[in-house]
Amino acid sequence: MGDWEWPLILFTVLGQIAIGIIVMLWWLDRDRDHLDTQLFKKGVYVSGGLLILALLASLFHLGHPEAAYRALAHLGSSWLSREILLFLLTFLAWINLFGMSRRQTSSRAIGAGAATITTAEIAAGGQQSGNRSLGLGITSVLGLLGIASSAMIYVLPRVPAWNNVGPVLFFLLTTGLLGALVTLVLGRKLLHPAQKKLLLQWSLGCTIASLLFYVIYASMLSASMEGAASLNFLLSSPLFWARALLGWFAPLLLLVNLLKNSQVAKTNLILTLTLLAGLGEVLGRALFYLSATGIQITALF
Amino acid sequence: MSKQLGFLHNSEKCVGCRGCEMACKNEYQIDATPQWRKVFQLHEEDFSLPTRMFFSMACNHCANPECLRVCPVEAYTKRDDGIVVHDPNRCIGCRLCTMACPYDRPQINPAKKKVEKCNLCYQRIDNGEQPACVAACIPGALELVEINDTLDQKTGVLKTLPGLPSPKLTTPSIRFIGPKQGKQIRRD
Repeated sequence: MGDWEWPLILFTVLGQIAIGIIVMLWWLDRDRDHLDTQLFKKGVYVSGGLLILALLASLFHLGHPEAAYRALAHLGSSWLSREILLFLLTFLAWINLFGMSRRQTSSRAIGAGAATITTAEIAAGGQQSGNRSLGLGITSVLGLLGIASSAMIYVLPRVPAWNNVGPVLFFLLTTGLLGALVTLVLGRKLLHPAQKKLLLQWSLGCTIASLLFYVIYASMLSASMEGAASLNFLLSSPLFWARALLGWFAPLLLLVNLLKNSQVAKTNLILTLTLLAGLGEVLGRALFYLSATGIQITALF
Repeated sequence: MSKQLGFLHNSEKCVGCRGCEMACKNEYQIDATPQWRKVFQLHEEDFSLPTRMFFSMACNHCANPECLRVCPVEAYTKRDDGIVVHDPNRCIGCRLCTMACPYDRPQINPAKKKVEKCNLCYQRIDNGEQPACVAACIPGALELVEINDTLDQKTGVLKTLPGLPSPKLTTPSIRFIGPKQGKQIRRD
């Protein structure tokens, strides 16, 4: 069985939330001027902070963090090298977004102060909105590729529980779920009710997909001896049932309740939902590492 | 790659003395925790008759080494003679190779926070000498051989033993000669 890989748990979950926020901002920005400038700014700041924390956490996994730059050396076959490259490119794309968010605030202030809006200002605003969408799109694509690379690191023939599509789907579903919920929290006063409803529906879709996929994944595990050992570990661990309660069942109940009763404006419920889902995903990621059983020599020592 | 060097382990000759383990430790003054070479005992129930049988295993210098594929810093290289060499100067201690190897042979040295493994004494081989473990094996159970079809077609040469991962995972460069089970008379 694996270990509590805290640096990796923090790196993957925080990195996925950061990229999830950017993806959600891009999605909300699909129609020009649909995304509130303040939410864009908040989202960019929070995602950047989380991305920096994630990258710092990843260093603690290494025996020699001072030589981490060397991890870029084997792009030809190592998914870890590709992951590092894509996360660095995502961070560079984020710096561009950060600059954009600073410029956008100042241009708005100038526009608000002016007595009349000129045609040139409208054209500049349109150009800015287009650039913003492009910037968010590029950051999202790079980030999602980085997350897929992160997942591919674990697709190892030695570990049957990982040697399938599971890691990629788990990582992308975490991105979708936590990205949407944190964006909801950030935009609780800035999002339109329709946008909130859309994000809640997306979160519900991710939670249901995560639960259904996990059931299929668990049923596949028993095909090999090592996979069956992973499954036995999961089912007998109290952490797994805590993960199921916090990460699947409680969020499902809350999400259905919020959508059914049109309570999209209930900030406390959204905050509770985000915390529960976040805890569930952290436990889920811990179990991902803890339950890994590799094919190994079974002879006596 | 012109050839593939590897080990031939004869379990009929091996007495489990662990002399190969000690020779390896002695040659490289390895710390206590990582064991580049290790002697294992097979489960008796894996054979039709009770048999006390050992095999000795270090890095298998696989034809398809997973350690080399996953390593992000190119710490692993495969020489023309098939030896998989690990350069500790490049290693950053990410431990991905330890997760990928089904034989658990690259191991982390907790003191150095870097991975270490057997490099098949390539410097001794380059000088025309035998690897330390092979040279130290008193019953002659461990041999340095070239892994090829001629070896595989010899009678009694096995690609795996019970209790070992499938050779399909990494195509390890190790072959075995299993125990010959003679007649056993039990007095129940």
